Amino acid sequence: MAEFPVHSEVAGTVWKIETRAGDALEEEGVLMVLESMKMEIAVLAPEAGKVLSIDVAEGDTVREGQLLATMSAET
Amino acid sequence: MSYEDQFQELSARKQTALAMGGPEKLRKRDAEGVLNARSRLDVLLDDGSFREVGLLAQSAIRADREKTPADGKVSGFGRIGGRDVAVVSNDLTVKGASSSATNARKIAYIKGAATKAGMPMVFLGESSGSRIPDTMGAESMSLGGSDPEQYCRRRETPWVSAVLGPCFGSSTWYTCLSDFTVMRKGAVLAVSSARVTSLAIGEKVDPQELGGWRLHSEVTGLVDAVADTDEDALDLARTFLSYLPSHAGELPPVTDWTAPDGGALLDIVPVERTKTYDIRKVIRLIADEGSVFPVKERFGKAVVTALARLEGRSVGVVATNPLIRGGAMDPDACRKATAFLVMCDSFNIPVVLLTDTPGFLVGVQGERKAAPAHIMNMMHALQMMSVPKIAIILRKSFGQAFLNLGGGRNSNEIAAWTSADVSFMDPGVGASVVHGIDPVEEPERFKQACAELRKDTSAYDMAAVFGVQDVIAPRETRSYLVQALATHTDRRTGGVGRHELANWPTYF
Repeated sequence: MAEFPVHSEVAGTVWKIETRAGDALEEEGVLMVLESMKMEIAVLAPEAGKVLSIDVAEGDTVREGQLLATMSAET
Repeated sequence: MSYEDQFQELSARKQTALAMGGPEKLRKRDAEGVLNARSRLDVLLDDGSFREVGLLAQSAIRADREKTPADGKVSGFGRIGGRDVAVVSNDLTVKGASSSATNARKIAYIKGAATKAGMPMVFLGESSGSRIPDTMGAESMSLGGSDPEQYCRRRETPWVSAVLGPCFGSSTWYTCLSDFTVMRKGAVLAVSSARVTSLAIGEKVDPQELGGWRLHSEVTGLVDAVADTDEDALDLARTFLSYLPSHAGELPPVTDWTAPDGGALLDIVPVERTKTYDIRKVIRLIADEGSVFPVKERFGKAVVTALARLEGRSVGVVATNPLIRGGAMDPDACRKATAFLVMCDSFNIPVVLLTDTPGFLVGVQGERKAAPAHIMNMMHALQMMSVPKIAIILRKSFGQAFLNLGGGRNSNEIAAWTSADVSFMDPGVGASVVHGIDPVEEPERFKQACAELRKDTSAYDMAAVFGVQDVIAPRETRSYLVQALATHTDRRTGGVGRHELANWPTYF
């Protein structure tokens, strides 16, 4: 099954990473939490699948559109 | 010919027409678990309510007459939930339900009759495009364009489209004109088929990439709901219509209702302004139990648009969702809200606006998609609409988004939760913008500036200047909405609006 990237929809800071490679997530499961616009913004899995890699670290500053994680539709 | 013989002929002709494209094609569909044009009507309509019009229609080309039962489009009238509707069900087993002179006449007739008699129109889409050789050459092209109102959409009655197979040509066009579209997974909606498209552009094209459910529910927003099976899709079409009136001149039907258990509201919405939550849970605790019907749930997700009921009466809910980017609306969210407001205004459905947003999403990507124009489209719709609109500020409401969600005089009435916080922008951001203070370099000065900007932004500050009409506890939201909607229903028209948005575009 296809791999799919998860991009940041906002500019901010990676506050807390909630998953790691190998974890299975439901659609809308929380991958990580960013700090942006003075809020904790959850990054959600766009569809159910397995986390292949987390491509940022806690504390990183991320741009809008930046790759945060890579997932696979196969669990 | 004796009468007896005449009746036998009539009966034989009807039997032939009802056999559609023949047993082999129908069996194949059965085996694939896909309903056919007629069995779909059995599922869609109340039992035994279908009255067919045009069963004996055939191709205008004499040589094709015997091969074109009902000319590939089954049409007529029936009932959904006891209310009359008009239907066109495309029969893919008859020449791919392709468009021809006769079946174009059938569709025009049904649409006209439905509009005149004030009943919704349901299109069950599955069609391959224009029929060859019928539509070849100058003469047929000129005939094809003979109805100058074919694609006029005045929203006089609700239109629903179910995309249940390959949809090209006719069924694609009517889908785009509809108020609600449901798509079965595996169906395709596009201008032309993957085969035609790949021949035209000289590249291989994947049908699902060209027009699958993901594309239309997540990227284009052409599809309002997705279903796994034909049956589920038809059920969603029925349910959608249960919230709508039969025509623009009346109110939606009132149903029985059960009040939700709203006790958990305070557990769902965190007091801490930095924490987010899912507004869909809040809506479910405010609306009648089991009444929330999401529209475009997978598109522009920072705003939730849903039909729901309050004490049995239909309402359209527009609510920012803090779960998605804190509830900051992007261009897609604005487009979705605008389309929803147009539908509500056209069919006398009052609107409830729930706000918890840090403001509109700012960023390069949004600007490239003309973010300000989409914000104004939504604002324009909100100000033009004439159905009652009641707004609630849950927590944050900053900047222009305050106005777009009913703040100021942009609703008939607005109330703030005790937790509400209203200003030109988030104080944390504002301190940097207004005073140019870096929070890392000068934390003390930053804190001071934030405190300064946080002054006079509370629910009570708003109430004091009559910027909101009331301050309420979260658990009072349902009863407040019920009463406010009753107050602001126009008694002079019985709640029927002016429908100034009814002629707005069919896509934003």
